[in-house]
Parts: sequence; structure tokens; C-alpha cells
Amino acid sequence: MRLPICLSIIIGFLSCAVLCDKPILRGIDPSRAQLYANKNDKFTCFDGKKTIKYTQLNDDYCDCEDASDEPGTSACTNGRFHCVNPGHKSLVIPSSRVNDGICDCCDASDEYFSRANCINNCIELGSADRIREKQMAELVKNGNQIRLELSQKGKKQKEEQRLRMADLEKSRDQADKLREEKRQIKIDVENLESDALDVYRKAEDEIRKQREQEEAVNSRQEAEETFAKYDSNKDGKVDIIELQTRVVFDRNRNGEVEIEEARYFLDDNDALELEGFLTLAWPKMKPFLMLDSGLFKPPTRGDQPADEGEDGEEQEAHENNDDPAEEAELLNEETENVDEQHDENNEEEEDEEGHDDHDHEPEQQQPPPVQYDDETQRIIEEANEARNQYDVADREFRELDTELNNIRKVLEKDFGPEEEFAPLNGECFNFEDREYVYKLCMFDKATQQPKSGGSETRLGNWDGWRGNDYRQMLYANGAGCWNGPARSVMVDIDCGLDTRILSVTEPNRCEYNYRIQTPAACFTSSTNEVHDEL
Amino acid sequence: MRQFSLIFLLVISVIHTLAVDKNNFKTCDQASFCKRSRSVQHERSPFEVNIDTLIVNPNYINVDLTNKHNGQIFDLKLEGIKGNTFHFEIDEKSPLKPRYRVVDALKGEPTYEAIKVTATGSDITVKCGENKVIIYATPFKLEFYQNDVLTISANSKAKMHFEHLRRKQEAPPPPENENEQNENEAQDQNQDEPGTWEENFKSHHDIKPNGPSAVALDFTFHQANILFGIPEHADSFALKTTVGNGDPYRLYNLDVFEYELNSRMALYGSIPVVYGHGHKSTSGIYWQNAAETWVDIAGTASEQNVMESIVSFVAGSRQQDAPSAHFISESGIIDVFVVLGPSPNDAFKQYTALTGSGNLPQMFAIGYHQCRWNYNDQQDVMQVATKFDEHDIPMDTMWLDIEYTDSKKYFTWDHQKFPNAVEMMKNLTNMGRHLTFIIDPHIKRDSGYFFHNDCTDRGYYIKNKDGKDYEGWCWPGSASYPDFFDPEIRKYYADQYLLENFKENSRDTGIWNDMNEPSVFNGPEITMPKDNLHYGGWEHRDVHNLYGQMQLVGTFDGLLRRAENELRPFILTRAHFSGTQRYAAVWTGDNAAEWGHLEASIPMCLSLSVAGISFCGADIGGFFGNPETELLYRWYQTGAFIPFFRAHAHIDTKRREPWLYPDDVKLIIRDAIRKRYSFLPLWYTMFYEHERSGLPIMRPLLSQYPLDKNAYNIDNQFMLSDKLLIRPVMQKGASKVDVYFPSRNGDKQADIWYDIDDYRKIERVGVESVTVNTYKVPVYQRGGTIIPRKMRIRRSAILMENDPITLIVAVDSDKRAKGTLYIDDEKSFAYRQGKYLYIEFEFIDGVLSSQLIDETASYTTKVWLERVIIVGLDKVPSSATLRASNNQATQVDIIDASKTAFTIRKPGVSLMEPTWSITLNY
Repeated sequence: MRLPICLSIIIGFLSCAVLCDKPILRGIDPSRAQLYANKNDKFTCFDGKKTIKYTQLNDDYCDCEDASDEPGTSACTNGRFHCVNPGHKSLVIPSSRVNDGICDCCDASDEYFSRANCINNCIELGSADRIREKQMAELVKNGNQIRLELSQKGKKQKEEQRLRMADLEKSRDQADKLREEKRQIKIDVENLESDALDVYRKAEDEIRKQREQEEAVNSRQEAEETFAKYDSNKDGKVDIIELQTRVVFDRNRNGEVEIEEARYFLDDNDALELEGFLTLAWPKMKPFLMLDSGLFKPPTRGDQPADEGEDGEEQEAHENNDDPAEEAELLNEETENVDEQHDENNEEEEDEEGHDDHDHEPEQQQPPPVQYDDETQRIIEEANEARNQYDVADREFRELDTELNNIRKVLEKDFGPEEEFAPLNGECFNFEDREYVYKLCMFDKATQQPKSGGSETRLGNWDGWRGNDYRQMLYANGAGCWNGPARSVMVDIDCGLDTRILSVTEPNRCEYNYRIQTPAACFTSSTNEVHDEL
Repeated sequence: MRQFSLIFLLVISVIHTLAVDKNNFKTCDQASFCKRSRSVQHERSPFEVNIDTLIVNPNYINVDLTNKHNGQIFDLKLEGIKGNTFHFEIDEKSPLKPRYRVVDALKGEPTYEAIKVTATGSDITVKCGENKVIIYATPFKLEFYQNDVLTISANSKAKMHFEHLRRKQEAPPPPENENEQNENEAQDQNQDEPGTWEENFKSHHDIKPNGPSAVALDFTFHQANILFGIPEHADSFALKTTVGNGDPYRLYNLDVFEYELNSRMALYGSIPVVYGHGHKSTSGIYWQNAAETWVDIAGTASEQNVMESIVSFVAGSRQQDAPSAHFISESGIIDVFVVLGPSPNDAFKQYTALTGSGNLPQMFAIGYHQCRWNYNDQQDVMQVATKFDEHDIPMDTMWLDIEYTDSKKYFTWDHQKFPNAVEMMKNLTNMGRHLTFIIDPHIKRDSGYFFHNDCTDRGYYIKNKDGKDYEGWCWPGSASYPDFFDPEIRKYYADQYLLENFKENSRDTGIWNDMNEPSVFNGPEITMPKDNLHYGGWEHRDVHNLYGQMQLVGTFDGLLRRAENELRPFILTRAHFSGTQRYAAVWTGDNAAEWGHLEASIPMCLSLSVAGISFCGADIGGFFGNPETELLYRWYQTGAFIPFFRAHAHIDTKRREPWLYPDDVKLIIRDAIRKRYSFLPLWYTMFYEHERSGLPIMRPLLSQYPLDKNAYNIDNQFMLSDKLLIRPVMQKGASKVDVYFPSRNGDKQADIWYDIDDYRKIERVGVESVTVNTYKVPVYQRGGTIIPRKMRIRRSAILMENDPITLIVAVDSDKRAKGTLYIDDEKSFAYRQGKYLYIEFEFIDGVLSSQLIDETASYTTKVWLERVIIVGLDKVPSSATLRASNNQATQVDIIDASKTAFTIRKPGVSLMEPTWSITLNY
């Protein structure tokens, strides 16, 4: 007996849904109520596809594809329920939230047949909401005042910079002219200098050639002597066995000259006659013999203070090296490497510091001390003077040009619809969490530094605005992540009376999110309109 | 053809960026017991039965077995179990010390059945019901007959191997005769070879104080065409031949980083049950052993000859030997359950009758789970949950991975990130949602951590070979591992879940036990040394594959007691063994965002399902890497039809919540999730029926179509219960997929199928190419079934509790259909006290009727019948008449009639009605 009663309760309810408490209007926006007026006990779905009995409205069964017959129930998957929420803002929720046990409407109208005991708290919530909105409006209003000040300041800054730029352009053009003059003078004098020095240069060449020839003869002599020395059995050939007695060729220092080692020096031959020895073997042997006799010194730690660790490792590698060929190459390359490393270091510095005057550092290679005649000496001094003057003029020009470029870059930056972000340009703000200090230098960069010490990591460089409402900035191309992308920071901007970082999160590995507030983002609706037109 | 596939392989290997480091894991040759046992070759087995020693009991017999090569004597016990099942054990008659026996896998003592024994001079016959076993004495061999058909034999390939415990440098006993001397010597040499008394792997040394202790036995499946089972492997459902073709399938719970597909390598779980299936019958072997195990398969299609075998199947000529499985375990005893089917479902049921079925989960657990390593903080969790509402996508559970803890100390929270975890859980609950957080078994060695101090003071940690607390390396850094085999330790661990001990917890949070193989980053094969020591003095070697399960026993107990035994615990585990289904759901571990991994999720879950674990799923989207959008939505569509439905991602991947994609993609994902929710009444009913019957939820085609040889190897489509056929789209850029419609009789006799989206009818055997758009998941309802759905999709599953039911009645060729619906409170154990409704629907001769299956059960529900869609009738009725139990007739409308289906509009009857019917009026 119990069950049928329950059934009749449900059926009873359903009919109530149709008949009592104006349920047909349930979930309908009152302004659209006339669309649900009873016309001959029929209702046509808004899409016109179907006409149903008027009693099928809000009867908890979805008849219309467009859900128009069930505004007040959860029957249609695509339906919308309108809660009036007297005292508060009305709200439209998906039909699936009707009678699901969760109070979505403050007037409790969505839970008319549910286990949830929803209470109507629209008055309370509405007034709280209005207070919040008022506060928000107040905040935006006050913030907007500050924003306007910032805007003025920004515009002024820009104007000043424009003026400065005009001045600079003039000065730079003058400096450029001056530099041109000095360059011409320099070229003329240098031509004279060059002619004068030519005489000496030819003489030097002569001497050098002579010296080279002598060296070649000496070298051949030395090679022949060495050949004679190594050819212990005097058969006119130096062979592997003979070389194996020469401990100087024990490159891996294992106490014996192995066949491979000996063969290497014989250029992969078993034996070589004198001519072969001179062309193939000698060039290989020479560095080792020099090394052995102390004439040739590979670079030592003292020479490369910058790369001590690395150098140490390389040395170790040498000692363990079994292949004499590789070792010889390493020996030869070592000096070159030192230079290369220097160059690289210089380049890096240049990159970071921009246009510093490197060219005019003291010359690394001192010219050989040559005695010139008086006339030549005079020309050289004159040329030096011309070079100095050109350098001064050139530096002047470049300084002006750099400043001009910097200003141009600033002027090119988008500081908001009314330049309100301009005063923040270059300003830095910090935010600390448990592990890190996060920094944001506006329109420049974002960084992260561990509180436990350790170096700063670049999270991103100013990339630009995202969206078109000046609420989001991107700082991209930060330091690369291991096994991941380059770090980046998305900055979300709220209105606030001062500028600061509110929170920093890392929603994705190496993709950070800063939330900041600033009065520069306090746009009132009127400024928004201005902005929309932009 | 070959060249083409070579090129294809090359391309694959170039594209494939993630790869397992195989050097971290042993091959059979590197595991000395496997190498020794696998190479056993005898003309005839040295084991003989001493029939004189036979002792007959009402349910079992005992008889001695002698190894003629060394005189060792063993005890064979064989017993009959209800439901076409036999059990036998072989142990040493008088071992130097006891050998480990698995006691925690079975759900309880099996139900034994009377046996009848007859012995001759050469054999013993044990009859049990319609089945029998013949024990041949010389050489020893067992033959299992199902209804007089030889189904399974053991040791017919003479691979039996039993390394008796011995003292080091034990002198070999004198050989009994000249002929056997050579073989005998060979065997003893074997046992003194490197690896028998100590073993090295990479930098790890295993002291092996007990020396060799392997057990091995071969089983031949005389009626089978294919073998399947022995999860967990990332491989095809049908087992491949491994004899002469690489390593055997390995069962050893391991944390394999970036695991490889099409591999016989061990993974996170081990369930040593294998089934053989042929058109005459299905049978299975449950090799109950928790030590490292290898299974060498012969006589099935290997990768190389899969084409040939299909050809020979089709030609009906099977020239190969009957398929066989050679089980090799490192220690323990030979402990075997033989299930004789004869149908596939019979065999599956017989296995779960032994090891249990999964408990009916709470409704929320079969909804959609949103997981990621990691949701960073409280705000993050709430924001993600709120976004689901904003985009109107259902979601039931938010998950927290390891980062929520205070420095990886479980049972603590990081209060910087989660200042008020209780409030967070409450906020979720208020929106109809749940939280699941992770508790791993490794315990941070930190003197400021209560759990560590308690374990240290009370000696709760697993010991190393010297009896000191074992220290390994895992997420927290230096860590130790509680010995969950000790009931006292399990209780201590379970107590930590109680709200009085762990206040930042709630009665109803889910728990995720990960890394419980156990994973030890600096251990041999990323796990624990085998010479570690456990409760009872057992070596880790003996119990390894059970470790994770013993943690689950504790977790389950803790969650039960946390809610005064009222609420059904929800636990997810990575490691698993036989019986894990009684405690937890299982996911397939750390897969990758690749199409191949999406495909692998089906055979992997099918293998787990037939091995008792129905509540299975794979990480949607793939754990490692970033899925392309097409892969992601195809994965959602597939996952929506797999029992455990969770998205998860590695910490280094980009976020993939649906709204982060373009609208069109988001809407496809939303549609897939909502489809899942619309089928929740069916899912819930299937889970209930799984608990009740032990049958898997997700089934291979052969379970329903055992005669269709073409269906045996199909593992890119599957069935849910006997009702739905699912063929997910798992290929990039697919605009068509081939769906195979199976045969009822092995020939042309087809079932009728109806596309669930448009009720299109298919009645054929064979492959049909089906057009798919981005939204399409090819799913077919079998004619003859009735499926319950709920079409009002809410924010979460539990919010749909009172919503009305839609019945889809799909008729067979006789215009009949049947189905069931289960209803209860969706969360508590009250259903075990009869608080539920289990309803059967039947459609015959134009009448749909409903009655209660369990008339004594009752439950008060608001659920009513919203609509009935009748599919497959030729004629549309003019109206329908509802008759409820008060026998009043109510007229109901017929609407939305099409060529294939029509709808009975709003019968409105309460599903509490004990009986009702709807008659179609023409």
C-alpha cells in the first residue's frame, strides 16, 4: 500500500507544478511572460518546430528542441532558468541546476522541489552586493583620479622626451658632420703614414724571409741529425723498433713506446727513409721533441685564470689519452683556444653593455720597436693625433645616437590609452612568497630569486600587451626551462590605489602568472569607451 | 611488405621520443632462477607419484611425489572446489624451513566439493561433479577434464622444476641408476652456477641466503586457440608466443618510467591468471605465487606469425601444438587453481569466486575525475572546480597529487598552499563534488615526522638483510617503508585515516595509493632489494608482488572505520595482485600522450578485467607529454566508455582542462563527458552486477561470442556487460573506422545492433566501415537489451540521484528485449542490508514490464520513468497504456517516431513500483 501512495504524491506534485503557484511562469524572465500566454490551450515552441498542449508547459518533460516549453524545470538539457531574485540581481542558470540540491538563486526559486533547504537571502546578498559595487565604483573613481594624474605625468614625460629627441637629433647631426670631417683628416694622414711606413715594412719582410730560410735550413739540419740519431742500425731507414727505444715518444706515459705510438710518428709507415722522414715524420715529432726539451710550453693554469676548472679537466684528459694523434692536435690547438675564449668573453660583454668602446683598448700586440727617421716619426705622430680626434668625435656621436635610440624606444612603447602607464616604465616591484622574491620591472623584465640565496632567474622580457583592454601584459622569452619552454610571465592587472604585486602563481611549469593592481588600470566606463574607440 | 614494415618501424622509432631504459630491468637471462627454470628440458619428467602414499579425504587427496634425480620428496594435495574448479599444491615434504604460501589473495576459504577417487597401479582419478583429474604416476602428469573433454594438462611438457631448499655446498645424493646420472649432474651443475647463492644486478647485490628456491610448471590448454590474461603488460590482449621469441611475460611489480608498448616487460601489477579459449571451451590457471614470476608462452600466435595463424584459423586447420603456459617463480610453492569454464564468463566467474569481485563503488567514483600533478593550492583547486560549472561540464572529483603534503610527508598538508583543507573539501562537497588525495607507502625519514618516529620506535619498517630499517630513496628523499604484512602495522597505518588522528581529512575523501610496487628510486630495478626482511621472517623475494595489496588492505580498513563502516571507500592503486579488486580501482600507470597509448588502454584494461579488476582506466590524455587536441578529445571519448574515467597529467606538461582549448574542442570534450553521465544508471547497474556475479564489466568480444574465431584477437573494440559494443576512434585524422560485428555461431548468424546516437540498425557479421566526425564514438546497443539512462546532466553524478530514467529498449529478431536497473543511496553500505531496488525490465509482444528481482529488498527513491525509447520495431503504435500495481490504466503518448524508433512520452511511474507494465496500442 505504501508504494502507490508515494506514487500518487509524485503524480500529485506534477499536477501541482502545472496548476498551482503560477508554475507555468516559473523560470521565466517576467519581461518575456507574454510569450507564454495561453492561446487556445496550445503552445508553439519558439523555434516553431512543434505545437504542444498548453498543459505541457513546465510539466517536467522536454517537448521543444529549443527547450522553450520547460523554462522552470530541469527537463531540457539545453534550457535556461531565470531567477528573479527580488532585492538582488536576477540570474539565468542552466536548467540542469534546477532542483539539484544546490541553492543557485538567492530567492531559492531554483530549488522548489529538492532536499536543499534554500532560504531567500536576496535582500541580504543584494545589499551586500550593492555595498561591494559601491565600494568598487568608489575605488575605480578614486583610482581613476590617480590614473588621470599618472596620465598627465605620462603625457608630460612623453612630451619632454619628444622635445629632448628633437634637440638630440640636431646635436647628433652636428656631431655626425664633425665626425665626417675628422674621418677625412684621419684618412688623409693615414695614407701619408702608410706610404712612409711602406719602406720599413719591405725591409722587415726581407729580414723575416731570411730568418725563415735560415730556420728551414736549421730545421732540416736538425731533422737530418735526428734521423741519423734514430737510425741506430744505420740502414738508411728509421723504423718502428728504432723509435720504440726513444722514450720521448711514449705519449701515454705508460713506460713504453707502443707500436701504435711509433707508427703514428712514422705517419702509419713501418719505416721511412730520409726524405719520407723529413716530410712525414718530422712535422709530427718536432712539437714533442720541443716539449721534451722544454722549448715548447703548453699553456699552464697560470695563463688562464678564468678557466681554471675546465683547464684542469683538460689536462687530466690529456694524461689519460691513449691516442697520440689526438693529443698532438690538442697540444697545437690549445693556444688557439685561449684566444677564442677571450674573444667569446669579449663578445658577451659587448652584448650586455651595448656600445662600449672596445676598439680603443690598448693594443694587445706591441709593434716591434723600430727606429724611424724623423720625418716618418712626425707623420706617425700626426696620424695618431688625427686618430685620437676622430675617436673623440665618433664617441660623441655614438653617445648621442644611443640616447636618441633609447628615447625612441620609450616613445614607441604603448603606455596605455592615455599614457597612464608611462610613469611606471622601469619601476620595479617585489613580491615574496615562501621560497622566492619575484620582481617585476614594468615594461622591462620579470625575475625570480631564491630567498635561500642563489642567482636571479629571468622569467621574461617585456613582450607587449595581451588582449585589447590593457588588463594583461606578457613578459616572454625568459631563461629556458630544463626539458621545457622558455619561462614567461602573464601579468593580470586590476584597478587599485597603489601599484603592487598581489600574487604570483605558476599554473604551468615555467609559465608564471602575476596578479598586480595599479591605479593606471582604474578605467571608468567613460575611459573604457574612449579606449574602445582606439 | 616486409620492407614496408621495416621502413614503418624506422619511422616509428624516430618519432617515438619517450622510451623506457631497458637496462634498468632484468631479462630472463639476468634472473638466474628464470634462466635455470626456462632451460629445463627433459625427455621425461623426473617427478613420479608414489601411489602407495595416497590418502583420500572427503574433499581432497594427498600423495607423495619424488624427484627421481635427487630423491627429494614432495607432497601433492589436490582438492575439488565448487564451480568446475580444482586446486592443487606441491610443496616439499619436509623442507629445511617453511616455504611461503600466499594467504592474502583469496577472498576467503573456497567452497570445497566432494570428490570420488579411484586408483590403479599407474594413475589416480579424482572426480568432482562432472569433471575429473587424472594423476599419472610415471612420469608425473595431471590431466583436467571438463565433462570428459581433456581441457588442461600440467607437466605434460615435463617442465616441472622444484628447487628444494638446501644448505650451501650440499653434496648431491647418489644417483639411483646409471641412465639418469648425466641428467642429474647437469642439473646440479645448474644449481651451482653463478646466481644461485648470490646474485648481482647492476650495482645491487642480492645475498640469497636461502639459495635456489624456484618452482615451475607447464600447463597445456588442449581446447584453446588463444591464451590471454596475466596482466599487467602493455601488450595485445591475446598472448604471444615467447618460447624462442625473446623473453617470457614477466610478472614483477615495477615502477617502469616511460613504459614501452608491445612489450612483455613487467609493469606495476601482477595477476598470475591465464585463460585458454577455443570454440569448444574456456579454462584458466591461477598460479598463486607472489614472488617474481615469468610466463613462457608457446603455441599461440607470436608477432611474427599472427597473419599465418589468422589464415589457419580461417582455414580451420590448426597445425600448431595446443597453446601452453610455463609458469616460473623464484620462490614459494606450486599453488594452482584450475578453472574449467566451460564458457568464458564461467571461467571469469570461477576466478572471481576465488579472489572476489569489486565492491560497488559510490556513484561519484564512476563519474569524471579531474587530476593533475599538481593542482598547486587551495585556490587553484577551487578555481578549476568552478570553471567546470562555468563551462557546464560535469565533474565529480578533484584530485591532489604529492605536492599537497608538507614536504612529501603523508598525513600532513602544506599549510602555505592549503591553509584550510577542510574548508576546501567542504566547498567541494557543497557543490556535489569530492576530493581524492594521494598517500604513498614511502615514509620520509625526518625526525620531526610523527609517522616516521612511530615506525622507527616500534620497528614498523621493512628491514634490510642485516635486520636494520631499510632506507631507500623516493619522492621525499631518504625514505623507509612500513611492513604492511604485519597486522599491527596495518592497523597503525589504517588508524592514521581516522578523523581523530588526521583532522584535515573528511569522511568521504578518496585515497590514491601510488608508488606501492614499491617504487624505490635507488633500489634494484627501481624497487626493493629481494633480501629485505618482512613480518614473519619472510624475504621480500617471497612477497614482493603482494606488497601494494597489503597497503590497500590497510587503506580500506582505515577508510571503513573513518566513516563508521557506513560509506564505501574509494581507493585508486597502481600496484596490484590477485584480489586487489576487493579494495581498489586500478589505473594503467604512467602512460604517454601518444596515439599508441590510447590504443593500449583497451587491451590493458581488458586483461585486467578478466583477471578480476573491472574498475580499470588509463590516464586520459596520457601522463607524459602534451597531447595534440585530436588525441585529447578522442581519449576523452574512449575513456567515457571505460570504467575508471580520470584525466591526469605530469607536472611538466601544459595544463589541459577542457576550457583551455578552442571552443570547438572544448565542446567535443564536454559532449564526451556528458555522454558518460547519461549512461551512469547503466554503469552503476553494471558495477552492482559485477559485485554480485563477479563477471567483468568491460569484456572482450569472445565473452559474448565464444564461437567467432575472428573475434578472438580483436582488442580495439570491447563490450560493456553484454549490452554495448564500443569501437572508439583511436587513429589520428580518422574519418572512418572499421567496426567488427561478431557472429553468434561462428558463421553468419548475427546479432542486431543499434547505433546509440541515431538508432541505425546493423544486422550483419563482419567489418563495416563507419563514418566518424569529431563527435562520433561508434557505440552499439545489442538488440535484445534494455538500457537505463538519465538524460538530465547535472554538475556531478551525485546531483543526478533523483532524476528520472530513460529506458532504451532495443529489440532482437524476436522483437524482445531484457534489461536491469539497480538503485540505492549511491554511497553507503545500506544496500548490504537490503536497502536497494534491483529491477528487471522485459519487453515481449509489445509489452514492457517491470518487476523486482530481489523482492525482499526495498529502497525509497524519487526516481521515476521519464521516457521509453523503443528501437527496432517496424510499426509505430498509436498510444501506450501504463498499468501500475494499483492496476489503474493510464494512457501515455507516443512521440518522436522515426523509421527505427519511437518514444513513449512521460509514463511518470515511480521506479519504486514493484510491478508495472506499458502496453503498446496499435
